[in-house]
Amino acid sequence: MTSMANGIWSNGFGTERVEKRREGSVLELLKANMLAHFAYYRRSRLLQAFLLVFLLMTGMNSLPPLFYDSGVENFNTLQATYASLNWFLLFFAGGLSLFIISSHLRNRSLKMVFTKPCSPALWLGSTFLSAITVSLLLNVVIFASAMSLSLIWHLPVRTALLFISLDTFIASVAIIAYLMLLTTLVHPAIAATLALIFNASLFYDAQFWAESVVRSGNPNLFLRVLDRLFQVLYLLAPMVHAFDNKTEGIYTSLRVAHGDWKYILYSLGYTSVLSVFCYLLALFALLRKQHT
Amino acid sequence: MILAEDVHMRFRSGLLRRQVKALNGLSLEVHEGDFFALVGQNGAGKSTAMYCLLGMLKPTSGKVRVMGQTPEPGSPLYQTLGYLPEEPHYHLYLTVEEATRYYASLYGKRISDRTINETLDRLGLAQFKHLRLAKCSKGMKQKVGIAQCLLHETRLLFLDEPTRGLDPLAVRDFRETLREIHLRGTTIVMNSHVLSEIEMLANRVAIIDRGKVVVQDELSNLLTLNKELYSVTFEANGTVPDYVSCVERVGSLAKGNIPRDKLYDFMEFTRSCGVPLHECSLKKNSLEDSFFNIIKGEGSLA
Repeated sequence: MTSMANGIWSNGFGTERVEKRREGSVLELLKANMLAHFAYYRRSRLLQAFLLVFLLMTGMNSLPPLFYDSGVENFNTLQATYASLNWFLLFFAGGLSLFIISSHLRNRSLKMVFTKPCSPALWLGSTFLSAITVSLLLNVVIFASAMSLSLIWHLPVRTALLFISLDTFIASVAIIAYLMLLTTLVHPAIAATLALIFNASLFYDAQFWAESVVRSGNPNLFLRVLDRLFQVLYLLAPMVHAFDNKTEGIYTSLRVAHGDWKYILYSLGYTSVLSVFCYLLALFALLRKQHT
Repeated sequence: MILAEDVHMRFRSGLLRRQVKALNGLSLEVHEGDFFALVGQNGAGKSTAMYCLLGMLKPTSGKVRVMGQTPEPGSPLYQTLGYLPEEPHYHLYLTVEEATRYYASLYGKRISDRTINETLDRLGLAQFKHLRLAKCSKGMKQKVGIAQCLLHETRLLFLDEPTRGLDPLAVRDFRETLREIHLRGTTIVMNSHVLSEIEMLANRVAIIDRGKVVVQDELSNLLTLNKELYSVTFEANGTVPDYVSCVERVGSLAKGNIPRDKLYDFMEFTRSCGVPLHECSLKKNSLEDSFFNIIKGEGSLA
């Protein structure tokens, strides 16, 4: 029996051909899953509503300044619109990851996937890749819109737009990975709360507050413990913009110095490590769940 | 083909909640080419047993081997396996056609449009192929589940309450399809409450009670239960012999069962009393009778 079951891969094939067939099969599976995920994104009412509300809000804020005829106003409009669209992209990317995983877990439809020769690792990878693809697509649309405006208004800020676009895309990957992990671990509402409120910046502010109180001469032991705790939590919590203290000037001035590009590479490195970590932990959580 | 040995499965829904024993030393064996039915009351552990056989639940203890391997979610073992779930937990955002294509493509092979259309047509789903599963009836969803099982040549097919939600015509067609698949050599493991359906299809049956297989045998053995009875219908104007059991009276007619060793006594009774005898035929217990007897502890198998 064992040989017959294994025969799927081995009957009539040499080792190379078996490997090629496996690769082909993995690609087919990845494609099939990603197409299904794209259908989910297209049809998710929640994502559609989110997209519509945000575009309406951005449109209402951005449209009037578009008719100003001043270089400074145009610069401010471009800077503000681009910033808000990129913030939207980050929220939306988190939503992509959160909704697709929670929806499949709650609908219990994963048993239809895992009772086929499609491993949980592959399915999880496909959700991650599909969310990244949608995020990239939106990123390109936002970048192209900003580039068009900069060309129309003759604003020499194209390098900064590219920098911010790349930085935002990398940040969106980090958000997707982090929410993928949280959604496999806890209820989606708790996952969203953790990502929105209990994140690195909250712990940074909290640690800053605790440290300043301690330094002002308060000898309370509890405050010292809190200071340490917030520091540890800040170090543990994933960061969306890992080098934002170095790059925040680019977001306001829309100017990039030659040496700033290295932060894109650093961010990419940080996000890659974070993504792998989140993926492996999420996979572990997914395997521990009962898909019945 | 399938071997389960002393499988225990315990659940605990919360940290402080009481542990529930879903399977309590379940052992069964399914041979290649069997049409194997799992029968039991609600909560007996049939679906849990099927999930363990499928590898979707890891038993607390015990051994499960399917085609010589331990089943794991998404393993290559599923290349030759098909599964139809009890509840239609499908991808509701996909259309009928998309879902069928998606489930088929999860086997890592390309399925032609023609094959998919033919399968949908065969199941009467062709006109609904652009309808989203979220808007489909339970029966239609069940047919999508059946379609994804039919698109591949499987060696082993798991069916959990397959005819649930289907209309009578679809049930008959599905039964015929299952017979065809079985005749082609596919081993089928089926969970069902519809005992008459099992009687029509299965060749081996396991009766599960409180997480344990209490009887596992050929269906033909379960149907006779080693104690053949004769069913008799006669005019009962006077007394009825005490060995006639389960007497039903309709006017002057009496219907009942007599054990085989009392047949000649009964004949003598009808002759001596001049009682007209309308019918006397061998009575075989149905699966329902056997199931009832076994679960209630009124009968046992040799």
